[in-house]
Amino acid sequence: MDKEAIFKELSDAMVSCKADMIMTATTKAVEAGVSSVDIIDGLAAGMTEVGDQFERGKLFLPHVMMAANGMQKAVDTLDMGEAGATVKKVIINGTVEGDVHDIGKSIVSTMLQSAGFEVHDLGRDVPNAKFIEAIKEYNADMVGLSALMTTTLNGQKEIIELLKANGMRSDIKVMVGGAPATNAWAEKIGADCYAENATEAVDKAKGLLL
Amino acid sequence: MATEYFLRMGDGKRVAMTREQIKEDAIAGAGHAVDYGLIPDLSADEIDKIVEICTMPGKSVSVELGMEIPVSHDIGTIRLDGDQGNSGVGIPSSRLVGMMMHERAFGADTMELGHIDYSFKPVKPIVSQECQTMEVAQQNMIVPLFYGAMPNMGLYYTPDGPYENPGDLLKAFKIEEAFASMEHSAEHLTRDIVWIMQKLYASGADGVNLDTTGAAGDADAFGTLNAVKALREEFPDMYIEVGSAGESWIGMHGMLEFEGTVLAGLWPHQQVKLVEKAGASIFGPAVNTNTSKTFPWNLARSITFTKECCKVSKIPIHVDMGMGVGGIPMLETPPIDAVTRASKAVVEMAGVDGI
Repeated sequence: MDKEAIFKELSDAMVSCKADMIMTATTKAVEAGVSSVDIIDGLAAGMTEVGDQFERGKLFLPHVMMAANGMQKAVDTLDMGEAGATVKKVIINGTVEGDVHDIGKSIVSTMLQSAGFEVHDLGRDVPNAKFIEAIKEYNADMVGLSALMTTTLNGQKEIIELLKANGMRSDIKVMVGGAPATNAWAEKIGADCYAENATEAVDKAKGLLL
Repeated sequence: MATEYFLRMGDGKRVAMTREQIKEDAIAGAGHAVDYGLIPDLSADEIDKIVEICTMPGKSVSVELGMEIPVSHDIGTIRLDGDQGNSGVGIPSSRLVGMMMHERAFGADTMELGHIDYSFKPVKPIVSQECQTMEVAQQNMIVPLFYGAMPNMGLYYTPDGPYENPGDLLKAFKIEEAFASMEHSAEHLTRDIVWIMQKLYASGADGVNLDTTGAAGDADAFGTLNAVKALREEFPDMYIEVGSAGESWIGMHGMLEFEGTVLAGLWPHQQVKLVEKAGASIFGPAVNTNTSKTFPWNLARSITFTKECCKVSKIPIHVDMGMGVGGIPMLETPPIDAVTRASKAVVEMAGVDGI
């Protein structure tokens, strides 16, 4: 079986969201002599397709998790050699103080985790200081700030100001999101990026951190 | 130099657009709905109509004579007495005063009683107060008066409720536990909505408005539809309005079905069929505004979805319109230029029965 066919099989197995199919495809690829890095690329391509189908409402959150879980189990069986020593990038995610909306932010956390980031979701109505503490505690590379109301949106700006006041701004990337947020808003408050949806959040995080 | 027209972005910011730019964005917005919802596109004439509405010179516009439709409201009287960042203007007034103002000063065709938390679960400990207020209000008002609240199934998850947050469970790969949490919460939601409305209906309520159905995902819609079904069986004459939370019900569960149809990922023209089956009187589709896109883009997208919903529906459609919904920008005080244009468009183009 040629490499392209194996690559497609890996990707299709991911889209099936079934752990046993993902494992079977991975084992087949290993036996065919495909490198671990290439196998992960094939699985990652499938994960991207899963994310796209999720955005279109064809696959749903549990499917995303099952695909991610299957991918993790498969990757754990691979001999990564020196390449396996990579450290995951850390993202702190949360809904800003005064805002109790949860779902969109949780979906973003889930998708980021599925994409291979180490995610610490602080929940909702998170005090500004708690974001700062968590960034320090986990030595985070990025913080994601969600706000779903126009009245809580300014919390995103406050946290960026707090990062500056603590001398931390240059060491962390800031992503903002939520219904009232826009690219223009992100630029205005000095965030590094704005993500319109979970799939874009993953793309932007990868672009900034990897 | 081409004439520019001052319109809005989805976040309310003013933007100058030429006629050509307006047309391009309207085509793109409609195309987005077509692509995702797999529904018919707007015709060239309909795009031109959107451009015409956008480029009208008046600050506010209205529907053509003879096309007037009934207007009802959500959030009870919070828009008057609320001032906690919840769309209110902070005028200290009783709920009866607020409701009568809507009836007699604002021209509301129907009105609803709602409480400050505006969700069903928190009504339980104060239901006696709600019943008393409903009874007094019914004795002082003429328009149909409903009880309104959001299903808001998220209140059944920790820390507010007994079941672990399925978002947290999913992240921990506890998928079966997440399913169980959502399914149990949906059962509680159904039971609570029915229990509350049994009491409010006995107190004289003309019906119920289930606002933002599906906000917590497909399980939220599942619990609500089952409540509608139960209420219709018990009360054949109850007015039941189901307002959706958005153009697509998020698949937090992904496998819940109502009457044989999977709820996750349904678009307005599909949502309405289940709402009909459940026995609701009226459906309110909601199309959320993209704050990064222009008003013409958002409006065209909203019209495309709403039009198809109206076309297939056997029950009246009272489209949800407001801040961040129906093409209207997301601002606490939605600008009148956008509100009236969006309303005119949805009445004259999508054929809605009410707003």
